[in-house]
Order: sequence, then structure tokens, then C-alpha cells
Amino acid sequence: MAPLLSVQSSTKGFGGLLANREISLTIDAGEIVGLIGPNGAGKTTLFNCITGYMHPDGGRIVFDGTDVTRTRPERICRLGVARTWQVVRAFGRMTALDNVVCGALQRTNRIAEARARARELLDFSELRGKDDMPAATLTLADKKRLEIARALATQPKLLLLDEAMSGLTPMETAAAVRLVRRIHAELRVTICVVEHVMEVVMPLSHRVVVLDYGLKIADGAPQSVVRDEQVIRAYLGADDAAA
Amino acid sequence: MARIALIVGALVAIVYPIPLQLQGTTYYQTVGFLVLLNAMLGLGWNVIGGWAGQFDFGPQVFFAVGAYTSALLYVKLGVDAWLALPLAAAVAAAICAVLTYPLTRLRGHYFAISTVAIWMIAQPIGATWEYIGAAQGLFIPVKARSSVVTSALSLQFTGPTKALGYYYAALALFALTLALMAWVERSKLGFYFRAIRDDQEAAEGIGIDSRLYKVIARSITAAVFGAGGVLYAFWALSVFPEQALELNWSTLPIMATVVGGIGRLWGPVLGAVILIPIAQIMSTTLGTGPLAGRGIDLIVYGLIIVVIAAFRPTGLLSLPWSRWLRLRRPAIA
Repeated sequence: MAPLLSVQSSTKGFGGLLANREISLTIDAGEIVGLIGPNGAGKTTLFNCITGYMHPDGGRIVFDGTDVTRTRPERICRLGVARTWQVVRAFGRMTALDNVVCGALQRTNRIAEARARARELLDFSELRGKDDMPAATLTLADKKRLEIARALATQPKLLLLDEAMSGLTPMETAAAVRLVRRIHAELRVTICVVEHVMEVVMPLSHRVVVLDYGLKIADGAPQSVVRDEQVIRAYLGADDAAA
Repeated sequence: MARIALIVGALVAIVYPIPLQLQGTTYYQTVGFLVLLNAMLGLGWNVIGGWAGQFDFGPQVFFAVGAYTSALLYVKLGVDAWLALPLAAAVAAAICAVLTYPLTRLRGHYFAISTVAIWMIAQPIGATWEYIGAAQGLFIPVKARSSVVTSALSLQFTGPTKALGYYYAALALFALTLALMAWVERSKLGFYFRAIRDDQEAAEGIGIDSRLYKVIARSITAAVFGAGGVLYAFWALSVFPEQALELNWSTLPIMATVVGGIGRLWGPVLGAVILIPIAQIMSTTLGTGPLAGRGIDLIVYGLIIVVIAAFRPTGLLSLPWSRWLRLRRPAIA
């Protein structure tokens, strides 16, 4: 079976800096893939290329049989890719419910239907009772949940979570991990999580892809990746690895 | 509560000119006409400026397009005003869509100044294009109208009932605009406009074509301005560049919207009801007599707007009215 997402030698540079160098990876339907790497490794750049906010200088990106290398974000969303943002981007002046309604309107033109779907997703995302709060007044953890609910409302096949757990307390992080597992199990959405916190990604992911300085340095089961020498060097530095 | 206010407001708007008309006064009907015209334009501007959050300082271009289109249809083809009105609004929206699509690549201040630039380009075109009368513009001859019914049907009121007739015509157009905007606010369009305003990238990420919806938003604004231009042209019985492209056709509706409450359906209405009569009162009191010609009225008018803006930058509608009204209710009962 063809993979749901296939990134083929994607390269993206900013001036002299190559943020992504010939990165190839695939994500199969039904997987949870962790994308990790130190700060500046090129994780968000790769996300931006997959979701159409940037276009690779070289290489190809194919989603669900469609070449999306040069496709605009709104088209890619319609094809079935949704994302959240490292720095939250809730619609601050709209209520939590209206935020999710905007997502649901992607699949229906009827407001009542979109609103019913949005209520379900707010409940699913454990935001019950916060429907009428302006999004700007929610806590960081709730804003991140709201972004997830809004993304889910577009009925994605693939959900890309860009550091959905960074900046959260340990308890909030545990709740967020639970939510990701439920999205995978109950809504049957394929998920790719970007994190630089290993402790979060390892138990969650079926497979882990590691980036460092724009290169893919490892791709495999979490247990094998943590023992990979290149990965240890990337995270701990060369001297520690030698010691 | 809101429903009672709506009914009372509608009744006042319908009834107040009648005793004045019977007395033989026409001044307040004309003030009412200007209030409604600017409220209507404010409702239109609120779509691009309030909901979609894109600062458009050039909607007067489409006011002029509407005014000229209807005048041309009337003068050259003999098309009546009410038939010309939807055509003129459609022409304004279509021209707006073509002009705005390239502008949607620009964001923030750059979008704003590009709308001004289009207005600056429109002025010499209006002043030199012979077909539309160049600097002299077009005159709209009044055809002899025998009865109130034919006047109303042709949007041509004359004589002592002129102010009253245009007042009710403006009230009808205003009510129609208000109803349409209430629908837009609750429709998919309203949700998408506000999403783009709050965060364009996030909006694109959930499948919203930001450029398309900005074009739609501004074209709705342009259609309302075009319709307003038709009404004004037939009231003024002429269209010429300095009048139809006057800056006030954007500044007054924008100020009304901001003062009343930007991004709220009733914001521009409240703002126009407050600002336009103040402007008229200022010009008839401070603008006449010993102080006439020194612009004192405009200075005082400007100060009032500055005070409101400083006191409540989010608009008068954002004040906690419901709390105040609820507090007072037991006292009344």
C-alpha cells in the first residue's frame, strides 16, 4: 500500500542556511510518527513544507496520491492535512466554539451542522463548558487543545502537531498525550508529532524520525533510535557520546 | 431587551419625520437622510474593515462607481434608478473584485495604502474621461412626476416632499443593508472573515482561501457603497468627480464604525446616529454667525471624536451596556 505521506528528497534553504537537506520520509495511514531533533534541526520547516506554507527548493511531497509540492495551505487542508502551531494561533477574538466552527465549515456550509460538530469536538478535547469564552482568555494548555479541536474539525486524515506539549506542566502534558492517543484510537487519524522533549515522544510514537542540522539522521522504532550513536551525539554533544 | 430597542428604534425612524413635515420643516429629514446614508455605508465598510480586519481607505471609489453607473444608465439609456441600483451595486462589486485581487498579496499597512492609491488614480480618471462628463460630471434631469407613487418608483422626489421622500428611500435601503449584513455575519462568510482577521495563517491552515475571502469581503463593501452612490446621485441630481470621490465618503462611515464599535453589526449604526447629527449641529451653530468661516465647527467636531476614541477605543457598543441596563431595571420596576 502506498504511504499516506511521502516526502522525497525535500530541500529548503534560507539564504545560505539549508534548513532541510534532501529529507525523505514516509508516513503510513494509522501510524503515530514522532519527529524529533534539537532546536533548529529543521522540524518546523519540514512541517511548513508539508502543509504548503513554504515550498521546497528541491524534491517532492506527495500526500494521498496527490503531488502537493507547490500547493497552497488551504488546498492541502482540503486534501486532508491539518496542523497546529508551535506558537499558538487561536482566533483570539472569537469564542472557543466559533474557532472550531470555522474548521467544521470546511466540510459543511450549514452553520447549525458545523456548530453541532464543533460542540462534539470541544467535548472530545475536554474543553466542555468553555464554548463561549473568547479564545484569547483561555490558558495556554486550553488554547493548544482548542487548536487541536479546530484542526480535527476539518476532518483530516493526517494531523501534524507542532510542539503541542511544549510549555505545559507535567500534568497538562500527560493530559495532552492522552488526547493524542484518543485522536488516534477513536477518530482513526494518522498523527505526526514534533517535539524536542524525548520523554514525551518515545512512549507515544510507533516510529521516530530524527533531524539534526537539516539532515535526517535516524528513522526507526523508538527503542532503536535512542541507542543510535548519531542521535545520542546530536542530543548530548560529541564529547558525552565518546565518554 | 434588544428586540424592544429594535422595535422602538424602527418606530422612531419611521414616525419622527411626519410631525416635522406637517409643520413644514425639512431640515431634520435631510439630517436623517445623511445619518441613514452614512450608517448604510458604515455597515458596508464594517465587512472589510471590521469583520475581515483589512483597513480599506478607498471605498469611496465604489461609491463613485455606483453613482456614475446609475447616472449613465439614466442619462444615456433612460434606466430608472431602482433598476439601476442593483446593476450599479453589481458593477461596483465586480470592479472591486478585479482591482482588489492583486492587492490581497499585500498585508496590513501596505494593503491600506494601496486602497488609497486606487482612489488617487480614480480622481484624474474621473476628472478627464469625457464619456462620463469629465470635471463637469453628469446632470440627472428630473422627469415630471405627477404623483407620490411615481416619484417613489423612480426615486425622484421634488418640491417640499423631496427631503421626506429621500429619507424614506434611505431608510428602506438602510434596512435592507442591515438585514443583509446580519445574514452575512451569521453565515459562513462571517466566520471566515473573522478568522482571517484574527489570524490569516491559521485560517489558511483550516482550509480558508484568504485571498478569495478578502476579495469577497471588499466586494460586499463595494456593493453597499455602490448602492449608496446611486441614492446620493439621485438626491444630488448630479455626479461629478469632486463630489462622488470626496474623501468624506470613506472617513465619515469609517469614523462612525470605529466610534460605534468596529466589527459589531450595530456599531456603524450607533456611530452614524451620534456623529452625523453632531456634525450638522456644529455646522449650523458654530459654523454660522460671528464665528463662521473659521472652521470652529470642524475643530469641535474633531475634538469630540478624539475624546470618544481616547475614552473608548473599542467603540461605544463595547461599553458594558447589558450590565448597566440590568442594574437599572429594578429601579424602574
